[in-house]
Amino acid sequence: MSLLRPLSKLPDINAASVLLVENEEHFQQKLADVMVNEKSVMVKVRLAKSLPLPAKNEQNRPRIDLVVFIINLMSDLSLQSAEASLKHLGQGYFLGKVCFMVTNARNAALPAERMVAVRKLASGLRCPLLYAEDQTPDGVTNAAERLLVILRVAAGCVPMTTALFLSNLTRCIVPTEEEEQQNLDFDA
Amino acid sequence: MDPHTSVARSPFSSVVQKRRSKSYRQSYRSYVGTMSHLGYTPGFTKRRLTTCRLAPKRCSTAEINPEQRALLVREWQLSYVTPLYRFQHGHLKTYSRQLAAFLVSERQKGVAAEVGLESTLKVTFTLVAGMAQTEEEADTVFIKIHSKTPLARPDDPQKVLWSGWLTCVGGDPDYLRTVPEDFVCLPLFCSGGTEGLTALVKAWFQRTFDCCFGRLEINSVNLQWLAALWTDCHARTSIKQLKLVWSVPAEPPMEVIYAMHAQDASELWRSVRKPGLREEEDDGSVGLEEVACFFKGLKSHFYRHFRVELSAGRLTQVSTALGSAKHGGRIKISNSSYMITTLTLLTECALLKMPI
Repeated sequence: MSLLRPLSKLPDINAASVLLVENEEHFQQKLADVMVNEKSVMVKVRLAKSLPLPAKNEQNRPRIDLVVFIINLMSDLSLQSAEASLKHLGQGYFLGKVCFMVTNARNAALPAERMVAVRKLASGLRCPLLYAEDQTPDGVTNAAERLLVILRVAAGCVPMTTALFLSNLTRCIVPTEEEEQQNLDFDA
Repeated sequence: MDPHTSVARSPFSSVVQKRRSKSYRQSYRSYVGTMSHLGYTPGFTKRRLTTCRLAPKRCSTAEINPEQRALLVREWQLSYVTPLYRFQHGHLKTYSRQLAAFLVSERQKGVAAEVGLESTLKVTFTLVAGMAQTEEEADTVFIKIHSKTPLARPDDPQKVLWSGWLTCVGGDPDYLRTVPEDFVCLPLFCSGGTEGLTALVKAWFQRTFDCCFGRLEINSVNLQWLAALWTDCHARTSIKQLKLVWSVPAEPPMEVIYAMHAQDASELWRSVRKPGLREEEDDGSVGLEEVACFFKGLKSHFYRHFRVELSAGRLTQVSTALGSAKHGGRIKISNSSYMITTLTLLTECALLKMPI
């Protein structure tokens, strides 16, 4: 069974594990180095280029609490590979355990259509969309911190909050035409 | 960096509905509804989706006047211009004199004034008729800088040092109507000549008409649009070949030149365009999905033969017999029949890139 399922294994106490999926395999390493330094929770980071994950590691792999798709907006291939990987994720993950992280969003050469496509993807799946800056160490640290917030909730380390509840607050929303029109009328 | 203790504090993405104030001149970007690059849409945007259906690729009729022919001659560098304040098409002669005087004075700055054989500059502003698509659009203005030696006889051919033109072709009529009275909107500026002269001309325009210039790059999606529109024209005017240049970020960086026969490209395009669509049913509009599908076919064909994934790279140049366009903002239009379509697309790029 090649689908990745969220609840097929037992959790560890005060531990959280995250899977970073990125086609270019560039930003994930930097993020991982920062994230493992977290002290309040023991963070395990797994890196992958795409899904499905190889079957031979199935036994050693811990339960994955959060899957993060890192998309580089300057390359079309990145988005296509992320979309192809989504098919190998079990449905349980889409209740708040999937997150999209996007780099190079401020680049002037970026075609707007790609950004629209990514936002539609994230909002269609009810997932949060984070923007990250991968060139400076500060940017990497910021991105890691934001991911850790979501990760702690997804791993169950924050009392009174579940991943589904958090995703309702943080998910990406692309308003439809009617909603936009209503907003405009309200303004006028 | 304070640690996030409360989970509910950070909505990372876009529910932000800004109701505080509404600017009177909505930016073109907000009007058409493209996402700003920072990723969230301000509350009062999105009248329509991003241009997913670019207008017809109808060819214009073949009569062009000699002024339009001058636009076909060379490769132009593109910039966008914000609307010009109090630019009057009736005062072109005055403007030519003023610009000539400005250029001469800039040249002489810091240099001892010499009298005698130094060549002077002559500037001409001309109107290029027949380019504006609607009444709201301003006419195209063509600017030429000649060098003129005082000893030359009047009928000697004058050397053109620099030429450029300001135009607005097929701009969005709703947006053009919101431009205030005193302003003339000519968002696309094409320049050909030395960098120094281009900078001087821009400086004069900025000083006289209170406008801003900026670099206009053609991003990869617009290059794909151009490739598709030109291929579409192959049925009527042969494009000889479709050449695409990609830059792939391999080690060392690789440049891929992918050239194909016009006939093959045209067949692929026709198979993508709603297969089974006959000539009579064709309403002339081209959708973004068709362009994406066309390119997906091209890239997968390349991958099958060479195992190089072109999606990982960037499209930097498109050229056909109808013209060529480069990512850095250089464009050359070689054929007059489809000039209007190309310019419409470029005007739209300029309008979208303008900061106001």
